[in-house]
Amino acid sequence: MTRAFLGALGVALAALALYPFFGTGYGVRATLQIFMWIALAGSWNLISGLTGYVSFGHVAFFGAGAYAGAILVAKVGWSWPAASLVGGVAACVLALVIGYPCLRLKGPYFAIAMLGLNEVLRALVSYFEGLTGGGSGLSLPTLDATIPIYYVMGVLAAAVTLLTYLIITSRFGLRLMTIREDEVAAEALGIDTARHKLYAFLLSAAGPGIAGALTARDQGYIEPISVFPLAMTITMIVMVLFGGKGTVWGPVLGAVVLFVSQEFVWARFPYLHQLLFGAIIVAVVLLMPRGVLGILQMKYRLPRTI
Amino acid sequence: MATAALEIEGLRKSFGGVLAVNGVSLRLEPGRIYGLIGPNGSGKTTLFNCITGLERRDEGRVFFNGQPIDGLKPYQIARQGIGRTFQVIRVFPELTALENLLVVTQGDRAAAMERALELLRFVKLEGLKGEFAGNLSYGQQKLVEFVRMLMRDPSLILLDEPAAGVNRTLLNDLLDAVRRLRDQGKTVLLVEHDMKVVMGLCETVFVLDHGEKIAEGSPGAIQMDERVIEAYFGR
Ligand SMILES: Nc1ncnc2c1ncn2[C@@H]1O[C@H](COP(=O)(O)OP(=O)(O)OP(=O)(O)O)[C@@H](O)[C@H]1O
Ligand SMILES: [Mg+2]
Repeated sequence: MTRAFLGALGVALAALALYPFFGTGYGVRATLQIFMWIALAGSWNLISGLTGYVSFGHVAFFGAGAYAGAILVAKVGWSWPAASLVGGVAACVLALVIGYPCLRLKGPYFAIAMLGLNEVLRALVSYFEGLTGGGSGLSLPTLDATIPIYYVMGVLAAAVTLLTYLIITSRFGLRLMTIREDEVAAEALGIDTARHKLYAFLLSAAGPGIAGALTARDQGYIEPISVFPLAMTITMIVMVLFGGKGTVWGPVLGAVVLFVSQEFVWARFPYLHQLLFGAIIVAVVLLMPRGVLGILQMKYRLPRTI
Repeated sequence: MATAALEIEGLRKSFGGVLAVNGVSLRLEPGRIYGLIGPNGSGKTTLFNCITGLERRDEGRVFFNGQPIDGLKPYQIARQGIGRTFQVIRVFPELTALENLLVVTQGDRAAAMERALELLRFVKLEGLKGEFAGNLSYGQQKLVEFVRMLMRDPSLILLDEPAAGVNRTLLNDLLDAVRRLRDQGKTVLLVEHDMKVVMGLCETVFVLDHGEKIAEGSPGAIQMDERVIEAYFGR
């Protein structure tokens, strides 16, 4: 079983690695987008799926990484791979600064604080025009790097998924889950919940930061509304809830299924698109709050590593 | 006088207008089992919460083995060696029985596993180690919570109504376990409504009423105490 799974995984990774050599330009771009969503959804799962602290502004890290990366490329002349790493670091620094006060908040208050953070950041980048171009956006020097970015984004998606696996199978990961299950009991057992939440938050910020910087480079132009949209946070959340929060492959499954259906089915019905998306949110929350893999996990007693 | 395992001086805690704990002082000598009784709402759980740092006290001091622990965070107090269980069970429902115990450990994984399995065996739950704690019976969850608290090998153990909802056989195992812990030199303070349990286990009993300590003494003497009788049956 494990061997068959690893074999299939190996074949899939090899096919994805070779895909740019025979795929269409559109196919490569779409797959690159799927990688990005896997990285984003997987990162959201690390904080919200494991500790239960629902981040309603996770796209803030994506936007922070996008601006950090774009400024370094456009204004300082850095190469995009280095700028992307700094995008991840910038998101982590933001997570540290914001997580310290905000992770004390419980339940909806944390969710709302994160939402507020995203709005504040969007306002800030619009305000500091000299550095960010303000509302009129920031253009990067032209460069066609879609194929290298495809690979880097693919590695990022794989790294987030591998990190999730390593965390979920560790006692550190179990401690993160105790915060979700019963934070008071965790504290009374000697678990430093504040520190654990902060670590999970930092880990969940790095991926979106890097993904933001890569996306900025790939698109060649960013503006406040394109990198701080609330809709992106909601999409991450729905992907994870659909696939199965707190599992390794749930975010991957959710990202692939939702992206593909959005791309190939809903795009044909532009007016129904939003309606269908909303309907899926309601259906997931009402009918299968554990998501597809969560249900399978409960029914067939599978480990969390699915 | 030897250092007390726990010493509380003038502890006070109110919620809005409710004085939940009103100037309680008490002293626990090491290696003994103490009872804490009192009518519903008399402040027993709140006292536990103030000792373990889950509630911030308004006034008063708490010393553990002679060192002040008031103002520390709950996890710091737990790490110093105070373990507790809760009146309303607080297991981690979607972690297995074994994982409930493992989360407490750090470092050597094999040793941690061994200790967790040993404790599950101690309460005859080894066969259910892979079961989600939320799927266990009420009594079994209480036992998981009890041994989970022992993973850190605390020297002071606070039990909030350990007997409630546990069947006779499990209860006897649990009480035996408490006695064995005492024999190992640990100090135990337990809240209990079942006077039989208190009589059979405790050397000294403290009685709370409306947040105040109204009596302290052997279980026999306590049952004769006029103020205690009045607190329970008087009004
Ligand atoms: N978090 C809280 N907020 C407000 N009031 C509280 C809180 N916790 C306890 N109280 C109040 O403080 C008083 C003492 O409650 P506590 O739970 O300590 O009593 P208890 O002796 O443990 O009772 P029981 O035997 O029912 O468990 C009660 O009047 C209770 O309503
Ligand atoms: Mg109580």
